[in-house]
Amino acid sequence: MANWTQTSKELLGPVMSVETWLPTEMPEYAQGFMYMLGSLTASSFVACVGSGIVLAMNGAASWSYNDAMRFVAATHFWSVQAFFFFMMLHLWRVFFTGAWRGGRGMTWVLGAIAFLVAVPTAFTGFLINGDLYSQWNAVQAKDGINALGLGWVNLSNAGQMFGMHVVVMPLILTVIIGAHITLVRLKSVVPPYPTGRDAAEPTPVGKGGR
Amino acid sequence: MAVGRTDMVHDYRMVPEDFVKHLLGTLVIVVALVLLVSALFSVPEAPPLTIRGYARTQPVAFEQMALRALDGQGRIADYGPPYNHGTGSLQSPMQAAVGILHPINAATDFILKPLTMAAVINPALIKPLATFRHASAAQQAKWETAYSTALAKGVYRHGRVVVAGTGYGPLPSLMNATLALGRSGLMSGALTRNGAVVTRFNNQNYLLFLQGDPLHDKAAPLQLLGEQWGIIHPAVPGYPGAWWMTIPTWIYQWPFVAQSPAADAMALSLGFGVWLILALTPWIPGWNRVPRYLGLYRLIWKNYYQDQASEEGSSQTAGNKVGPMVGSQ
Repeated sequence: MANWTQTSKELLGPVMSVETWLPTEMPEYAQGFMYMLGSLTASSFVACVGSGIVLAMNGAASWSYNDAMRFVAATHFWSVQAFFFFMMLHLWRVFFTGAWRGGRGMTWVLGAIAFLVAVPTAFTGFLINGDLYSQWNAVQAKDGINALGLGWVNLSNAGQMFGMHVVVMPLILTVIIGAHITLVRLKSVVPPYPTGRDAAEPTPVGKGGR
Repeated sequence: MAVGRTDMVHDYRMVPEDFVKHLLGTLVIVVALVLLVSALFSVPEAPPLTIRGYARTQPVAFEQMALRALDGQGRIADYGPPYNHGTGSLQSPMQAAVGILHPINAATDFILKPLTMAAVINPALIKPLATFRHASAAQQAKWETAYSTALAKGVYRHGRVVVAGTGYGPLPSLMNATLALGRSGLMSGALTRNGAVVTRFNNQNYLLFLQGDPLHDKAAPLQLLGEQWGIIHPAVPGYPGAWWMTIPTWIYQWPFVAQSPAADAMALSLGFGVWLILALTPWIPGWNRVPRYLGLYRLIWKNYYQDQASEEGSSQTAGNKVGPMVGSQ
């Protein structure tokens, strides 16, 4: 029977290596604003978590009676907007550059899952805010949730939504984003399409490589 | 440009990069941007629709809403799983399979229980409550139908809704007591009460009590209704909403979806289908070649291609004189 520790060491070696996480050089094509979009998305997620921690420490409704917390709630709101904004730009960039080529399909899928999970993560946050938007969406969206057979998710239960938004969803999203970024670091970013005469016979997806 | 028989180039250089500076740089950009926008625009918070507020501003409509909860005509009264055994909002077999997870009997939970609590401090309610409870279902229905018709012409006067005629049994007393409870602000406490615990995390009955006309009347001018693309609209005009839900919101507008009694199940399933296409892009023949044909990558990698072209040019020029150069990595 294989030595589990040895196998873990071999698998985790590249993942935990500083060479993977702190590169001192990048491919020449991966330069400029287009290659900042992923980092901007991740930075926005950090801003969401940071402002969210301050909100969680003070209470979800603290914005309604405390001006300082209202400002923190604003930073949380705009961090979420920034997160989705940069994520969309990043999505367009990776789509238009066929970023799944060269065995990077799983990186793409993890990014798509991150987007899917981010939607209810943000939504549960809207639900615990306590304003008209919370009220309206809790009542309206329950029909869709119930229709999908997810009736145990009670959108009008603020306690359940608080747990979902502050613990469950961010934890899942962090793991998915972490796995996505890990694959980006391990496999690097996709090289450009060949052009001109070199582009005559492209191979199917997944067959290319560096 | 030297490439193999693949759909990507292989001859590129690695250039120096300060990755930590790059990451901290993007973090600083985002934090600065967020702080600036937060300082300029704060946060959109629309005042909610409270039971007290609705009872005070729309007393007749409030009683109509309360009566719909009592007579089973309200949406929650006949909703179905996960609240009760109704069928009014049953959209799919999955919904039915879930069963009753958050039981609601609209008449009891929304009206009779709060009134029973109110009767402790207002004994005048004890008799009409007993009369209603001891009446046959047919008699209750008769009163409810008659009072519902009368309420359409009801007038609010001195804290009560007054209707013409008689034959409504204890309903005028009960509905006006509900109105008084609503106007006092005590109704919310009665709806969210859970005698087993002291916490009040679950405000389900508070929110669902106002479902229907009250919330819709508030939402419509703000363009929040489903048919108004409401999912992506904010409650405070001018601010961004959940614009990332544009595709499912658009699907909700498709006529065969919008007109279906299972609109939510259909729209969300189709939306998931669109996401699935996105997620499986790498393996969908044709679709995974679209970026290649679109050619936008030429703009994104413009500098790289220009550098390669100029290097090829100078390589050829040099090659004419001294022979071929060895390509980079």
